Formats: sequence, C-alpha cells, structure tokens
Amino acid sequence: MSIFKIAKQVTGALLAAGLLSGAAHAEDKKDIVLGGSIPMTGVFAFAGVGIHAGITDATKIINDNGGIEGHKLVYVPEDTAYKVDASVAAFNKITSQHDVNLYYGDSTAFSKTISPEVDRLGKMVLTGASFASELNDTKKFPNIFIPGPTYTDMIGILLNHIAKEKPGAKVGLVHSETEFGRDPVEGAKATAKELGLDMSLIISTAPGGVDVSTEVLKIRRARPDFVIFHGYVLAPIPEFISQARAMGLKTKFMGTFWSMDNSMVGKMGDVADGFMGVMPYNYYYSEQANAPMLDKIRSMRDTYQSNAYMQGFFSTMMLSEAVRNTIKAGKELNGPNIHAGLQQIKDFDTGGIIGVPVSVKGNSVPIGRVYQYDLSKKQMVPASDWIRLD
Amino acid sequence: MDWLFFSEIGLAGIGTGGLYAVSGLAFVLIYKATRVVNMAIGEMMMMGAYIFIGFSVGLALPVWASIPLAVIVSGIMGGVIERAIIRPMLGENAISVFMVTIGLGSVLVGLVEIIWGADPRRLIEFVPSDPIFIGEAYLSPKVGYSFAVAAVIVGLFLVIFRTWRGGVALRATAGDQAAAYSMGINVPKVFSLVWIIAAMIAAVAGILVGSIGGVSPNMGVYGLSVLVVVIIGGLDSLLGALIAGIFVGLIETYAGAFLGGEYKMLATFSLLVFVLIVRPYGLFGTHEIERL
Repeated sequence: MSIFKIAKQVTGALLAAGLLSGAAHAEDKKDIVLGGSIPMTGVFAFAGVGIHAGITDATKIINDNGGIEGHKLVYVPEDTAYKVDASVAAFNKITSQHDVNLYYGDSTAFSKTISPEVDRLGKMVLTGASFASELNDTKKFPNIFIPGPTYTDMIGILLNHIAKEKPGAKVGLVHSETEFGRDPVEGAKATAKELGLDMSLIISTAPGGVDVSTEVLKIRRARPDFVIFHGYVLAPIPEFISQARAMGLKTKFMGTFWSMDNSMVGKMGDVADGFMGVMPYNYYYSEQANAPMLDKIRSMRDTYQSNAYMQGFFSTMMLSEAVRNTIKAGKELNGPNIHAGLQQIKDFDTGGIIGVPVSVKGNSVPIGRVYQYDLSKKQMVPASDWIRLD
Repeated sequence: MDWLFFSEIGLAGIGTGGLYAVSGLAFVLIYKATRVVNMAIGEMMMMGAYIFIGFSVGLALPVWASIPLAVIVSGIMGGVIERAIIRPMLGENAISVFMVTIGLGSVLVGLVEIIWGADPRRLIEFVPSDPIFIGEAYLSPKVGYSFAVAAVIVGLFLVIFRTWRGGVALRATAGDQAAAYSMGINVPKVFSLVWIIAAMIAAVAGILVGSIGGVSPNMGVYGLSVLVVVIIGGLDSLLGALIAGIFVGLIETYAGAFLGGEYKMLATFSLLVFVLIVRPYGLFGTHEIERL
C-alpha cells in the first residue's frame, strides 16, 4: 500500500470520524422548542401580550447565557385570540413543524382539551396561563406544570393571612359564573372551615353582567370582614368596592392573581386604596436584595411589566430548569422525563422573580404573598411575608 | 320575607332594565326603519364608550364636552356605516345583511384594540357617588342616574315618533317603503338618519353601561342581552323595548338575588323561550315580522 493510499484512508477515516462526531455533537445540541398558543388578540390579549414578552425575554436571557446545557431554546408562538379551537389549531401547526419539548397554552379549557394528546405524544410538558386546581393532579395530568399556586391555593394563602390577622373572621367569596370563577369555591370552603373562618357568603355573578347592586346588597346584609373576588380582571370589582364603601361597609376586599396586576388595580381609581390580593411573584418594581433576574428584566425593559409578563417569564425559567435537570441526568428529552425534571426542582433560586427559593409540589408551586395597594405610592406593596402551603 | 331587601332588588332591576331599554331602542330603531337585524349594536355601544374615553382621557376634555362630542362622532360613524356598508347591501338576502353586521362588530372590536389596546378600562367618574335612598331602600347612584337618562331618552323618542315630521317619515318608511317613496319621502335619507340616531343612542347607552361596569373590547357581549330584550319586546316596538327591558331587568335581578347569579341567564333565556312559544313576534311586535 502506497503512502498516498494510507494517507487517503487515514484522512477519510478522520473525516468520517469528524463528521460523525460533528453530527453526534449537533444531535446532542439539538434545539429545545417551546411552542405557544398565545392569546395576543381577543378578550385575554391584555395578558397574552405580557405573557409573550415574558417568554421572549426569558428565552433571550437563557440563550445569552449559553442556552440549556448548550442547547438553544427556541420559542415558537402563534396567536389564538383566546379561542380553544384556534389554540388547538396552533398546537397542531407548531407540533407538526417542530419537534416540540415544551408548550405554553392559553387557557384551562385548552389544557384540558389538549392534555390527552400531550400524554399520547409523550414528548413534551405543557404549562400555561391556567392555575386551575383540577390540573394539579399528577396522575390525571402527568405532563402539566402550573407556574404558581392553583386558584384554590391562592385563596388558601389569603385565608391563611386572614386567619392570622383576624381569627374567626367572616369571609365572603364573590366569583364569576365561569369555569375560571367556580374553580376554587369548594376548596375555599374546606380551607376556611379548617382555619376556623366563616365563609357562608358565596356570591356568583353572571358573565357579562353590568350592575352588581343586588350582590352588594347581599354583602351589606352579611357584613363580612373580608371579601375575596375570584374570576375577574377588573370589572366588576371597582363597582363592588365603590358601592360597599358608599354604604359605609368596613369590609376589606381581596383578589387573586389575574386581578392583581399593578396597572390594572391602579385603574380602579380611589377605591383601589387598601385593595389586597395574592401574587405568586414579585412585581416588576419590587425592591429585593440579590435579585439578578429582576434587575435584568428592568435593564431590558425600562417600563412597568405586568404580572402576566412575570408569569410567562417564570414559566419559561422553570421549564428550562426541568429540561436542564433531564439533560444532566442523561435522560431522553420526553414528556415524562421533563416532568420528572420538574419534580426535582427543590429550593430553586429564581433570581428574585419569587422572593424565596421555590420547589415544585405536585404539578404546581404553592407559594405566594399578600399585597396591598397603596394609593399614595400607586403600587401594590407587601402585606405579608411569602406564604408556602405544605 | 325581608320586604326592604325585596324592594331594593326591585329598584336595582328597574334600573338595569332602563339600561336594557335604551340599548334596545337603538336596535329597534334600525330594525323598524330598515329591517336590518343589527348584531353589532353591542360593539357600537362599546365604540361610543371608547370615543368618550378618547375625548375625556386622551384629549383631557371636560365631561360636559366629552359626552356630546362622543355622541356626535358616534352619529357620524353610524352615518358612514350605513352609507358605506349597509346601503350597498339593500335588496340583498336578509342573512347576508345579518352576517355583514356580525362582521361589522368584529371590525369595531379590532379598531378599538388597535387604537386603545386590549386592556379593560374604567371611565372617569362623572356620575354623583352619593347613594340614593327611596324611603329606606338603597339604589346604586350610577344605576339610578343611568335609569333617569334612559327613561328620558326612551320617553323622548316615544313622543317625537308620533309628533316630529322626521319621526312620521320614519314610521311611514317602516310601514311601507314603496308607499313612502311615492309620497315623496326620501327613503335613503331616512335610512341614514336612523343609523345616525341609533349610533348616537348606542353611544349614550355605552357611556352609561361603561360608567357602571367599565369598558373593554369584550363589552359587545352586552348586546346579546339587548337582543333578548328586543326579541321579547318585539323587534319593531319602541314601547316593547322599554317594557321588556324593565321586565328582563327585574327577572334577572330577582333570579340573581334569590336563586344565585348562575340562574340569571337561565331565567332570562327561559323567559325568551316562553315568549317565543306564546308570541313568536314578541310581546308588542308586529305579526308580519320576517324572522331569520
């Protein structure tokens, strides 16, 4: 064999080895795809725009820091106008064009609709805008992640705060007559009973209803110490508070996550003063030591970002951490393994998105803080420490 | 029975009914004159409320100027809609015109989202906030004052339809378009006038409703409740809109108070089904109504 032949064979072998290792390397560093059915228009657009911005920024920060263990995170959103059929169509489109590992859905209805398909595919973990209590079931929904406390847990956090502030207090629950609004009612009643609180006043309001004076009259008769609103963003909360105050009631009013955006509460005007509620995350403007993620967000966007933004950001962060755990464990990137990666998240430092280290419990992160609106500062300010539900 | 509570609920129901009545008036006017089932009535109300925001917040004009300006601009918008979208559809199948108004509703929602964004908003407070007591019974000030405005508008239209020349022309057009033409009535002008007036009434209704429940691009769903009211009252009856509005308002609030909020819609739509079975043309509607 001539020296040229040997050189040729060696070169060929090296080249083949190089190509193979390159291909293997490329395979190792395959993109992680985060698909999203995002409500950029329609009735939930106020949140969808923020969610989109939060996911986009979190993705950029992760990629700027080398991706997830070297894998680039790719975010593929589609607008859904908050319609389940459009969300499902977006899911089908995105999953047919990309090898999706993570997915963000826009509603409880979508999560419940698409969950069997996600389980069947076995390739991804699904998160989204829903904090529905029903989804917090690892057996029934083995590939779901709720980026915060469930609605029942949110009410639980408020009731824990109330029980400390005024033991035996009379608490009213006003909820919208929607799937979203009805979600925590039974759980809230059970928690109130456990905590020795009187929650005999439950009021539901019809969707699209305008006048709430009938419901306020019920509150006037019951004279609760606290009223918790759930299932609303803004209306009819201000009208409730306004009429209750005009009647001379001293009741304190509270809300859950989707009615806790600072700019939205600010739109209530003077009646916002003293409005309380539960928020799983810090606000954009929160001052906290050692909060590099909050600082980073503020450096990227110099104007206030909504609670929906924080939700989108936190979801992306947690899903990425789950993928990181899966890769580190040397496991295949599929739904069950990524979900197992989520379950491994214990005392995770969110860089200030949440003020204390967080752990995943079941499908959710049952932690939150009670805030109260300060009209003079025009800000929601902390009214409690972080409350963990165990 | 707590009679004070019962009477307070009744007052709230009548107040809510007044809002339904004035919104229904805008719907009935258009149907009566043009036979167009305007499914965009809720969105026209929403547009009126947003135009008010544009003047009162965007341009920081005082309320006394913002309300009439919003009403005038809404009237112009109504005229443009009639001339550019509805009139070319005259003579077309009723379903086609019906679908055009559904499309119009989506266009108005899109316009609002582009101009003002998708966030829910509150109107600036312009209704006195001191509670109203009738005897010992409480009435929400916003509902009370809104009812007073609604009652004045509906009453005014009931009168001018019988006395004003334009009102008579409109009634003549509604009765028989060909005969109205032959008597020298400018029927296309009547159509335009009706859309302008209806859009102005819708703007007033939108501002009143928005002052209570706030506004959002989703506010148009209120139009569905209005549709129930006008079907019960009779699609072409002004008096029917008034009476059915108050009736539906009372049914809704009593159902909400004594059965629970989840029964409000059930009660309203049960009433609708009952009325349609017993009087398919509504309580006060004309028998010849051609339904879709």
